[in-house]
Amino acid sequence: MSRVAEILNIANHIPPFPKVAMQVMRMLDDPRVQAKDLAAVIQYDSAITANILKTCNAAYFGLPRKVSSLDEALVLVGQNILKDIIIASSSARFYQGVAGNGYQLEQGELWRHSVATAIMAKSISPHFRGVDPGAAFTTGLLHDIGKRFLSSFVANDFQRIMDRTYVDGMAFIAAEHEILGMDHAELGGLILQKWDFSEEMIRAVQHHHDPYALDLEPLIALVAMANTLVISAGVGVGAGGLTGAMQGEGLKRFSISGADLERYLANLILEMERAEEMMALSN
Amino acid sequence: MKLIVGISDMKIGTKPDDELVTYSLGSCIGVAIWDPVAKVGALLHYMLPDSSIDKDKAEQKPYMFADTGVPRMFKEIYKYGALKERLKVYIVGGAQVMDDSGMFNIGKRNQMIIRKMFWKNNVAVTKEDVGGAVNRTITLNVGSGNVRLKVSGQGEVEL
Repeated sequence: MSRVAEILNIANHIPPFPKVAMQVMRMLDDPRVQAKDLAAVIQYDSAITANILKTCNAAYFGLPRKVSSLDEALVLVGQNILKDIIIASSSARFYQGVAGNGYQLEQGELWRHSVATAIMAKSISPHFRGVDPGAAFTTGLLHDIGKRFLSSFVANDFQRIMDRTYVDGMAFIAAEHEILGMDHAELGGLILQKWDFSEEMIRAVQHHHDPYALDLEPLIALVAMANTLVISAGVGVGAGGLTGAMQGEGLKRFSISGADLERYLANLILEMERAEEMMALSN
Repeated sequence: MKLIVGISDMKIGTKPDDELVTYSLGSCIGVAIWDPVAKVGALLHYMLPDSSIDKDKAEQKPYMFADTGVPRMFKEIYKYGALKERLKVYIVGGAQVMDDSGMFNIGKRNQMIIRKMFWKNNVAVTKEDVGGAVNRTITLNVGSGNVRLKVSGQGEVEL
């Protein structure tokens, strides 16, 4: 089997995104749905239920008091925030253990990077007209999911990828693509497709390292900007370092200045502290 | 003891077996200072150059910014008997992604401000490793003053 075929084969056998999460997301689009209907569905997935209880008390979500049961959480949490909590609670299982070790990411670092990108994506979303903050959060959380499944392939050819990157000056993702025939952004897109996420999200994951991402559709630009800032802050960077280009010219279209970027970075550190419970989910 | 310095933080080590370490400096800058006589060291991990963008954050987290964090680190280490003229000074980090527009040039701005501050205050940098597109980890051994640098994807070397 060729390597690309081998990678695609793995992609085809990736476990589905939790059914409960998908069902709840659909239900949340229906205004008539009540907390008890949601609870009836969610309680069948004990891992998600446990994670919801762990995360919803994070200061980041700003609930007025501590929550100890699923019913209570569902009543107290607003619909938009509930979507974020459910997505985070359902995604964490894919980031457990040494999910990013092929990229020299320590245990938990890939998840930490993903949560930080989700938080950043949501904070900057008001600049991107037409982008739903929930879609920004979800795509931020899943943009590097390809790394989880490409990690062992990167580990096998690590030195060759590193040489192309740091000796020949290629972007890490381009070296990944050249040597493996597939890179984590492309694979991530295929995974989101398999999981039935929207075309808009799939494209945003595929293009998050595209040097001209900021000139593309708003969600693509948003995720690329969020990821670039989180990498600049050094959160979950790994072997790829800061290699590659991200042309910032396109930010002007969204009325974002250099000072705005710095303000968002300053916020990120405090928001990450307020989201510790969510960061701990992959442990 | 291993003392880990997070983003926007600073720590001082006073015992010979203290090791100050800060992981994953992307565009951020790590500043390590060490007094060979007082045998005291400090390590700062700042993220942004200038606190004027957000005064509230600078109050809450003075070590987030170079302009508030660096002077404060020096003041703190003097309390442990360090003297400015004896200090060994190391700076690492300040990497950035390639961007012709300069929008993402936080690494460069982080480098420029510390050079300016050190020049104004007559602080000489002993060694540095800045810029490029790599991710760096720096460790300062308080007993020996030894500074080690680890660059993404490469081994650890003495700076």
